[in-house]
Amino acid sequence: MNVLELKNISKRYGAIQALNNVSLAIAPGEVVGLMGDNGAGKSTLVKVIAGNFAPTSGDILISEQKAEFQKPLDAQKAGIEVVYQDLAICNNLSAASNVFLGREPTRRIGPVKVVDYAFMRSKSAELFARLKSETRPRDLVHKMSGGQRQAVAIARTLLSDAKIVLMDEPTAAISVRQVAEVLNLIRQLSDQGIAVVLISHRMPDVFEVADKVVVLRRGELVADKKAAQSSPEEITGLITGAIEHA
Amino acid sequence: MQKKDIGLGILIIVVGAIVYMRNPLFLSPINLGNTANLIGLFGLFAIGQGFVIMTGGIDLSVGSVIALLGVLFVDMVGKFGVPWPLAVAIIIGLGVLIGLAHGILITRFRLQPFVVTLCGLLIYRGIARGYTAESTAGFPFGSSYPQLEWLTIGRSFGIPHSFLAMLIVAAVMWVILHHTVFGRHLCAVGKNEEAARFSGINTRFVTVMAYVICAVLASIAAIYFAMFTKSVQPSSHGNFYELYAIAAAVLGGCSLRGGEGSVIGIVLGAVLLQELQNLVNLLGIPSSLNFAVMGAVILLGVLADQQFAAYRTRKNTERALGLLQKS
Repeated sequence: MNVLELKNISKRYGAIQALNNVSLAIAPGEVVGLMGDNGAGKSTLVKVIAGNFAPTSGDILISEQKAEFQKPLDAQKAGIEVVYQDLAICNNLSAASNVFLGREPTRRIGPVKVVDYAFMRSKSAELFARLKSETRPRDLVHKMSGGQRQAVAIARTLLSDAKIVLMDEPTAAISVRQVAEVLNLIRQLSDQGIAVVLISHRMPDVFEVADKVVVLRRGELVADKKAAQSSPEEITGLITGAIEHA
Repeated sequence: MQKKDIGLGILIIVVGAIVYMRNPLFLSPINLGNTANLIGLFGLFAIGQGFVIMTGGIDLSVGSVIALLGVLFVDMVGKFGVPWPLAVAIIIGLGVLIGLAHGILITRFRLQPFVVTLCGLLIYRGIARGYTAESTAGFPFGSSYPQLEWLTIGRSFGIPHSFLAMLIVAAVMWVILHHTVFGRHLCAVGKNEEAARFSGINTRFVTVMAYVICAVLASIAAIYFAMFTKSVQPSSHGNFYELYAIAAAVLGGCSLRGGEGSVIGIVLGAVLLQELQNLVNLLGIPSSLNFAVMGAVILLGVLADQQFAAYRTRKNTERALGLLQKS
């Protein structure tokens, strides 16, 4: 069973064909490296999956069920979470507050509903433990390393029982050691049966974690193969167009 | 309590001790009572200003709101004989409307808070002066409103009720800021509005509510000031009060970049400002130098805070490096 299936997805912006008949299937727990040059359609594809806008034609199937996303919240409800490149977290808040941002748990004291900090801390500590991250719930995010921030952003996705996590360049702006940390986080997600779509320019990172590599070129899907059966050289060729198709 | 609040508390005590040594009248019950009254009056609207500043905005219209609503309140109660509870409700209702107008102009029409509230400053002051034709609004001779006066300028055990009102407001706002979902969202919106929006927070609502809170607290303060001064001179009443509020909030640890601040800090900021005013009087400094003293102390305080923070980070780094070298 596939957790996500795209059938002949096309997206047009006026005269520009951003995506052309893209078909793709992702299994639970699978890590997919989505690669392509700037303007190849990676972001458009991610935005279509995340419900930011509807495809011009084609179908999206979530767990074999046809899905229609009118807005990002619909996709979120269907189990699709996005970890944004700039991370969408608030530096002035603690890790726990960020994990629960927008979904704060409350308890009643008389007539007032107050934020349940104790639950927020214990639950996010549990999520960080599941990710095998050393992030502490009380720490402020602005004092954290890039890797720990990623852990916070990823813990957010665990909170909502996501089936698919889309990650936009999670290793772009962080140090080598932290990259290893983030790749570990991705493996943790995969071990828990969550599919990860990793958009990245960094070939070594993709080959380190991805089960499958998908290449887009000018809006068309030119490769969809097991990472083990491919090589960075082949993928580079596919991205630039030196190799027509794989 | 945050570290900054404790630092501010220490500064208040140190300044107080110095003033007391030079002039023991500082701790006389009369002086403390009068100062507490002023702290209450200025603290009321400084708390509201703090909420707006935490969203990364600013409200420059506070002083004019206090003048306009003060004139209207005095006229309603004194001239038109509106029962005072109704007049209070109307004034607070007007505060809500003013806050909504500011908030909607800022969020829906995407105008800058500085511009919107600067126009508010000019408009409300202008209306107050135009409406009264520059004449002072006051209560009729010999009139008295015992319950209203008890609530606003009365005292219990020597403590002015304006000060108690400010404490109650501060307690409520403390719960709202630090222990409700709205408070969390306020901090998130102030620091990183985009992130807050991606998290599903209604950022427009949060911002509008901050301006409503500010204007409502300003309207309550307007009633207290009107009752305190008993007459409202439309061209000078409340002049520069927005700056007192901003100063108290910034002293209290609110960052003008948004996302940071504490209610306790704002109250302590208001306390320090009034202490400085009092210091000018008690130490026989010409009162024309009032603003200069206040400005200088705030500048020194902020500067010292910055230097101290830098020193602390340096010490921490050194300690961390030391540990690394040992291991």
